[in-house]
Formats: sequence, structure tokens, C-alpha cells
Amino acid sequence: MKRDYRHDLEKTARQMILVHRVDTLIRLILRTIMRNIRVKHAGIFLYDKYKDEYVIRVSKGKRGIKIPEGFAKIKKNNPLIRYFTDKELSSFDQDFLLYNRINYYLKYSRSRGRNDLVGFLEDLKDQLSLFQAKACIPGFFRNDLMGILFLGAKEGGGVFRPEELGFLSVLASDVVMAIRNAWLFEDLNKQLDKNKKLFLNTVIAFATAIEAKDKYTSGHTERVVKYSLIIANILGKTYPQVSSEFVENLRIAALLHDIGKIGIPEEILNKKSILNDDERKFIFKHPLIGANILNPIGEFKDIIVGVKYHHERYDGKGYPSHLKGEEIPLIAAIIAVADSYDAMTSDRPYKKALSKEDALKEIKRNSGKQFNPRVVEAFIKAFKGNKI
Amino acid sequence: MDKRILLVDDEVEVVNFLAHFLRRFKIPTIKATSGEDALCIYNKESISFVFLDIQMGGIDGLTVLQRIKAKNPDAKIIMITGKADTEHQDKAKELGAIDYIVKPLDLTDLKEKIDKHILQG
Repeated sequence: MKRDYRHDLEKTARQMILVHRVDTLIRLILRTIMRNIRVKHAGIFLYDKYKDEYVIRVSKGKRGIKIPEGFAKIKKNNPLIRYFTDKELSSFDQDFLLYNRINYYLKYSRSRGRNDLVGFLEDLKDQLSLFQAKACIPGFFRNDLMGILFLGAKEGGGVFRPEELGFLSVLASDVVMAIRNAWLFEDLNKQLDKNKKLFLNTVIAFATAIEAKDKYTSGHTERVVKYSLIIANILGKTYPQVSSEFVENLRIAALLHDIGKIGIPEEILNKKSILNDDERKFIFKHPLIGANILNPIGEFKDIIVGVKYHHERYDGKGYPSHLKGEEIPLIAAIIAVADSYDAMTSDRPYKKALSKEDALKEIKRNSGKQFNPRVVEAFIKAFKGNKI
Repeated sequence: MDKRILLVDDEVEVVNFLAHFLRRFKIPTIKATSGEDALCIYNKESISFVFLDIQMGGIDGLTVLQRIKAKNPDAKIIMITGKADTEHQDKAKELGAIDYIVKPLDLTDLKEKIDKHILQG
């Protein structure tokens, strides 16, 4: 009774394109095996490149032995691995390992007085019987053994036929593809994380530069970031606009909101008495200077508005552009509240800090005047929830 | 052989596989799939050796270890730990476990430990 496996192989291949998770893929492959060749159980040893060993990932089967996923591992010098990788064993058929062939190999090795091989084959037999494996099929990428499929006895006995072994070989190479794809995705994600970290640390370095100059505002940036994110977290529950991308932009904008102070003379920044008109004009420039510094970074479009407009007021009396109400981008309106609250609750050269409660009253009083009422509402919620 | 080994893990497949592995060395086993089960069996049967999973629902492995040790200070117990969980491993040794094995199990190591502790001991 011959069977045409092509149909099932093509079907599996089609499904595989859609799956990126290596475990899901392997389950799919094992299911295909169980459906086409009725074996008592089947499993797979998968190469773990970080640990340089082979771990049993999945084993399936109702009737045969069931090995818990990820429970056991074998090292590279295990005879099961060596059978396929050791060049000195090339007199054996390294494309497949069949349990019932080992006795034949043993006889052959004994007749030639190869005691080294006899010992090896005895160990190999022992390993196979531990997993009750009757057939093993390797999956290679170039010269690297990436995984081994292993199969238990067929239901009702019987040997594995050449066309079945051919079918299994194709599936083993699919396993290889699965692992290589999984690694590729992992590497891409790692690279992405690394870039993100590099970017954020660069921004933090800039933010630190501002604080080095303005000695009275130590820790201010960090707190404005913290308050801004808390407010955004609450707003996000009501407004879909506050997406995870929005929050990431907010984090960067809050870190950099005062970067324009780099362009303001230190004696003005650190002056202990009230500023005169000329000095105040200088201070008013810092949001614009900040926006100009960041302007060459095209990817910062949504971040720059947070920096540029964080001193606008809801009633239109702010600076630099006298924007009003909802004209002020939400990202800037959030930083405005966070920035003001921290300014009020910190000692400054020209004034003492307010208590938290008094600062909250001040924020409430200015809702709809200086601040966006939606943001104030979220701020009050955060405050009452002891988050600020 | 009067050496009976108690295998304890809340994953039934783990105890089954361990039993299968030990059977190859003609070592008789009893299985338990919870801490409660394990204590119950330990009190009834004559057990020479225990493989004991640390992380289980209900009574966890460290508690089982303590209770068995309180009853029989000479009890020989090897812990099975989920990962390279050094905190629990240290704790287990402190409480008197003679050794531990880490998942995924290196089967060669496991064989060596069986040789060392059970077959020769």
C-alpha cells in the first residue's frame, strides 16, 4: 500500500509560512507525522545555540512514552548526536538512524574487531531505548545539526519504508527552517531593543546636560517625566489618542522639554532675585530654542511640539505662539501640568516650595485657564490615587 | 531489591519519564503527583530515596523536604529545580537535601547521580 505524501507536505508547508513561533511550528510538523505515519510517539531534539546542547522540545503520542517538554537534554557528545556528526562514523548511513539496523552494525563492527565502534553502538542503542525511538532523522543547516526528529514504534509493528523516510527527511529540513527563522526573529528583536536603549540613553545624556547647567533644578527632569507618564496612563484609559507610541514620544519630550535652556546664560538661569523684563524675554525663548535644536531630527516631529508648546496656556496667554485650548497639542498640555506642579513643589532661587496640597489647589484653580481641564482631571485622579 | 524510590512532581509526565528512566536500572519506584500525596506515601511505605520537585502547587517541595527530614533525619532526598534557581538550591541544601538536578535534565548527569547516590550508596 503506497501513499502519496506530497499533498500533506505541501499543506504543511503552506501552513508553516504563517507561523513564526518555533514551538507552534514543531507541533504542526509532529502532527503531520502522526497523521501520515502511525507511530506510537514522536518527538524532537532541538539545538539550543546559547547552551550548545540539544533539548527535547515537544513529544507527542497517546500510546508511546511521553517525555515532558523541555524536561531532558543531551550534550553534543551524546552518541545520538555523534552518530550524525562524527565523520569517523561515515561508514554508517548518517541520513537516518534505525534501531533495528544497529544490531547489523554491531555484528559488522565485531567481525572487524572494532571494539571502539562496538562500545559506541551499545551506548547508542541504550540511548534509543531510553526514548523508545525506532527511527531518528537529522535536520542539518550546512554542517550544523540543528535538530533530530525521533519516532517510536509503528502501531502494529512494521519497518519504516523508504518513502516514509523520504517524507520524514523533508519534515526534518522544515524543522531546520523553523529554527533558523526563530533565531532570525530573535536577533532582529534584540537589535531593535539595543537601538532603542541606545537612543533613550542618548536622550537622557542630553537631559543631564541641561541639569548640569541649571543647578537649582536637579531631579526636575526626572520628576516631570514621571508625572507626565502617570497622567498619560490615566488619560489612556479614556482617550485612544494616548497610544503606546504617544507615551513613548511623551517620555522623550518630557526628558527634553527644557533643552532650550542650553541657549540661556547661566547667570539668568541661576539668578536669586526676580528677573527683569529683558531677562524674562530670554527665559521665554527656551521652548523655541529647544524646538530649533531638535528640528533637524525629522523623526522627532511629534516630540518637538511637546517641547515647543509646553509653556502655552489654555486661555491663550502663554508663549511662544499664544496657542489656545485644544490647539495646544495634548503632549505639551501634559508636560505643562507636570512641569508646573514640580516647579511649585521645589525650592527655587526666588521662592520657597509649596506643599503638595497647596500645589494641587493651584493646579485645580488654573484648570481651563493655564491648564487643559482634561489633563487637570487626570492629574487630580493620580494625586488622589497616591500616584503623585 | 528493597530500595523503593519515591518520585514527586506535579507534572505526571515528569514522574512517568523518571520512572521509565529508573526502570532501566531495575530500580523500583512509587509515584506521587503532589506534596500531600508524597507525605502520605512516605509515611506508609518504606522509601529509601526521594526525587522531589521544588515548585509544586499545594504543599511545595521545600516544605515536603522539611517534613520528611523532621520525621527521618537520615532521609535521602534529591531536589528537582525548575531552572538555575540558586536561591532554592541553596535553601534545599541547607534543609538537608543531598543533591539537586536542574531541568532540563542532562541525562548523563542524571545517570551519574543515580550511580553515585543510589546504586553505590
